[in-house]
Amino acid sequence: MGEAPAHRDDGLRKPWGTIVAFLLPAVTIYVALTAYPAVRTLWNSFHKVLPRRDEYVGLANYVELAGDEIFWKAVRNTIVWACTSPLVEVSVAMLLALALYAKVPGARFFRVAWFTPVLMSYVVVGILWLWIYNYDWGPVNAALRALGLGALAHPWLGDPATALPSLIFVTSWMWTGFNMVVLLAALHSLPREVIEAAELDNCGWGGKLVFVILPLTRATVLNLIVLSFIGKMKIFDLVWITTKGNPLWATETVSTYVYKRAFEWTTFDLGYPSTIATVWFVIVLTTVLAMTWAFRRREKLEF
Amino acid sequence: MTASVLKRTLLLLGLSLYTAFASGPFVWAAMMSLRTTTEIHRSHFALPFPAHWHKFPEAWFNSNYATYFGNSVQVVVTAVVILTVVGAMAAHCLARYRFRLNRVIYFVLFSTIIFPPQITIISLFQILVQYGLYNSKVGLTLVYVAIQLPLTIYILESFFARIPSDLFDAARMDGYSDWEIFWRVALPIALPAVATTIILNFILLWNEFLYAVVLITDEDNRTLPLGIQRFIGDTQEDVGMIATGLMIAIIPVVVVYAFFSEKLIQGMTAGAVK
Amino acid sequence: MAVVTLDRLTKIYDRAHAPAAEDVTLEVRDGEFMVLLGPSGCGKTTTLRMIAGLESITSGTLSIDGRVVNGVPAKDRDIAMVFQSYALYPHMTVRENLGFGLRRRAVERAEIDRRVAAVAGVLGLAGLLDRKPHALSGGQRQRVALGRAIVRDPKVFLFDEPLSNLDAALRVSTRGEIAALHRRLQATMIYVTHDQVEAMTMGTRICIMNGGRVVQVGAPIDVYRRPANTFVAGFLGNPPMNLMPAVVTDGPGGRRLRVGAADLDLPAGAAPSLAPGTAVTFGIRPEDVGDPATTGAHRAGVAVEIVQVERLGAETMAIARMPGLERTLVARIAGDAPFTIGERRTLSLDLTAAHLFDASGVALRPEG
Repeated sequence: MGEAPAHRDDGLRKPWGTIVAFLLPAVTIYVALTAYPAVRTLWNSFHKVLPRRDEYVGLANYVELAGDEIFWKAVRNTIVWACTSPLVEVSVAMLLALALYAKVPGARFFRVAWFTPVLMSYVVVGILWLWIYNYDWGPVNAALRALGLGALAHPWLGDPATALPSLIFVTSWMWTGFNMVVLLAALHSLPREVIEAAELDNCGWGGKLVFVILPLTRATVLNLIVLSFIGKMKIFDLVWITTKGNPLWATETVSTYVYKRAFEWTTFDLGYPSTIATVWFVIVLTTVLAMTWAFRRREKLEF
Repeated sequence: MTASVLKRTLLLLGLSLYTAFASGPFVWAAMMSLRTTTEIHRSHFALPFPAHWHKFPEAWFNSNYATYFGNSVQVVVTAVVILTVVGAMAAHCLARYRFRLNRVIYFVLFSTIIFPPQITIISLFQILVQYGLYNSKVGLTLVYVAIQLPLTIYILESFFARIPSDLFDAARMDGYSDWEIFWRVALPIALPAVATTIILNFILLWNEFLYAVVLITDEDNRTLPLGIQRFIGDTQEDVGMIATGLMIAIIPVVVVYAFFSEKLIQGMTAGAVK
Repeated sequence: MAVVTLDRLTKIYDRAHAPAAEDVTLEVRDGEFMVLLGPSGCGKTTTLRMIAGLESITSGTLSIDGRVVNGVPAKDRDIAMVFQSYALYPHMTVRENLGFGLRRRAVERAEIDRRVAAVAGVLGLAGLLDRKPHALSGGQRQRVALGRAIVRDPKVFLFDEPLSNLDAALRVSTRGEIAALHRRLQATMIYVTHDQVEAMTMGTRICIMNGGRVVQVGAPIDVYRRPANTFVAGFLGNPPMNLMPAVVTDGPGGRRLRVGAADLDLPAGAAPSLAPGTAVTFGIRPEDVGDPATTGAHRAGVAVEIVQVERLGAETMAIARMPGLERTLVARIAGDAPFTIGERRTLSLDLTAAHLFDASGVALRPEG
């Protein structure tokens, strides 16, 4: 019926009591443990926050931050991470998803097997890859030596030149299966007729991929890229377990740097790390908003 | 014909290689968990014969694993229960009632998903210290509820919104109160989505590390990820023992995965699929 | 068994500029099958939901058996409703769905079982009692929805477009079932639909609504024969009544009309006497337009050009253009009538069945 909107009000006057009762627990938790802390972090960023005393310092923290080389190094590392990993994950995932979409025997098994890494905590994954990258007996160097490429054997996480790429590789390894599953679901939800129509229009596999499948799964692909980007902008656990930001800040991320400044350095000041967090929050928010704006669908696709 | 068979074989070969790459590290760790460190250092990639099953009870009893495991169960289960009830209530309310602030509240909650954790974590530390909840399981549980609440509401709301409003009208004519409509109509119908969020929250919180490392220092309150980190520190070069420790941490997830792989995959990807 | 009285019922939604239902006044008699008929958005569903107690009443009074029930919650009005989407509880079996309303009303277990069994027998659901709704076909779900209402033995039954989710064949048979049900239960039923066939075939009376207001109430055939205005005339009937602009000209009795290029003299039984120069709308149903071979008193021939012929087998729709008129004229004629497109010929109009409407669209009835 045209006169019945999807969300219909309750009719018998607005049941404000009920609405408040249903929302109150969630809103209370949100305000107390998300909104209030976020505002307090902003407040902190203008103060020196020592265990028993706060002192207003104006923009001093921000000025210090502008000249903080480690911070900018961490920002650079994190952004490199957030920009490369999603592309690797999603493109490899797309290839794998297409392979399974082509009705390969054992597709169910592959799907289940590839998904496993994402179920493990970064702590477990980090330890495993510490071993995999181990200079003396890790499988990577062992394989290189076995192939007679011993010269290429390398302390992967110990060398500032390779440490960051090695860790980025780990996150891609971890998340590719996840992206594959989502893409496979998107592929399966494509209307069969459209793909069959493309076949009648003389498209081979390549043609179908470029002209039909990619445009139709565009929304999912972009969604996954944004999601993966957000995840990498937060990355902490893996670095903390494996390198703690070493060597020479080569793998320092903003998250690890905030943690160090807040809880490891003996300055005891929570104001400066709050400033980092605030600035980083603004950077993340604007990039994500910019990405969603740039990726937003210009027109609704109708099947 | 032969060309297509060849192609198919090559494809399968490629996929199998990727499978080895994706799950190889776990298989390797699983093998090491049954071998002693001396055996491992003799050959790192040998099969676990003989299998030293006794390493599992050893790892469990010679460290605080039982405590870590118990803490994780306690914190995660409590948080998931609260999340499910509180999240479902809010999601049901946002999906069913139309009122002025509805979309504002929804959008504010939803946008929190992109917040980097640093924006709250320092203040959460201060707040929990202030209220005597720092270094306590209660404090960590509350924080866990807070960080997973937006995603939970997001997933449930989209499911609740699909329940036809006729059903709620019928329930009202049958004399259900608003609470009963939620508890006895909406929730049972949304059971698949509720199960999805339960599994998702369980996995994410079971693996959670950052908030735990900031908010818990006491040995007695460590959760499993913290415990593992501690365990490595204690057993440094004892690779075989660490592998056993890792397996113990993974086992609950593996068990759940073995029985509910489809549901679990669904849960993990629920937030990504629109 | 109950009388439902609506007195100037009005519903204005929050922040809506126009009322969804306005001054709806209607008395549904005891045991009557009242159909609320109208196009999408005419206020019929809003009216039904106010009767059900699912929508608050902005103003006016609603009473059942003389008792004002404006403030009575839905569950206490002793009303059962069948929803468009059936609204079966998907997590309950058919048996639980049927018995649920009774359980909520603290009816005894044995009594519930007895009534559920009886209703399941009547509706042919006996073999399906332990299934869940997802394991039922559309027609079976529909019957469970009906059963859920019947089992409660309420004072009033409400139906909100219950057949619109069924396919055509099932719709016809379910229509018959509901009509039979009404004859058997002799209960007061109020039925909302936008389908005129359902309204014509099932209703004791029809209440036609448009723009939130009641336009006409009456027995189906009366409403069909004597539409109160051009809206009803154009809404009921398939194809609907032909409506053309006309002007009263000088002629005997003030009943001579100029329609396009044709002059028509209406009989005294069809129209009142009007002053020359009055602009009116002339209406005639397709079945009253025919082959000139059918003769009779007060038939008038008009010259037309046939622009389209739709052969339906038993009958044929001929669409014709009258000189000097934009609107086409539809004639319902015999299935084998030898009409061809482009042909110029004469059609005869049965003027005793003509309708006249004034400039605002209200029907002009003959005097006396």
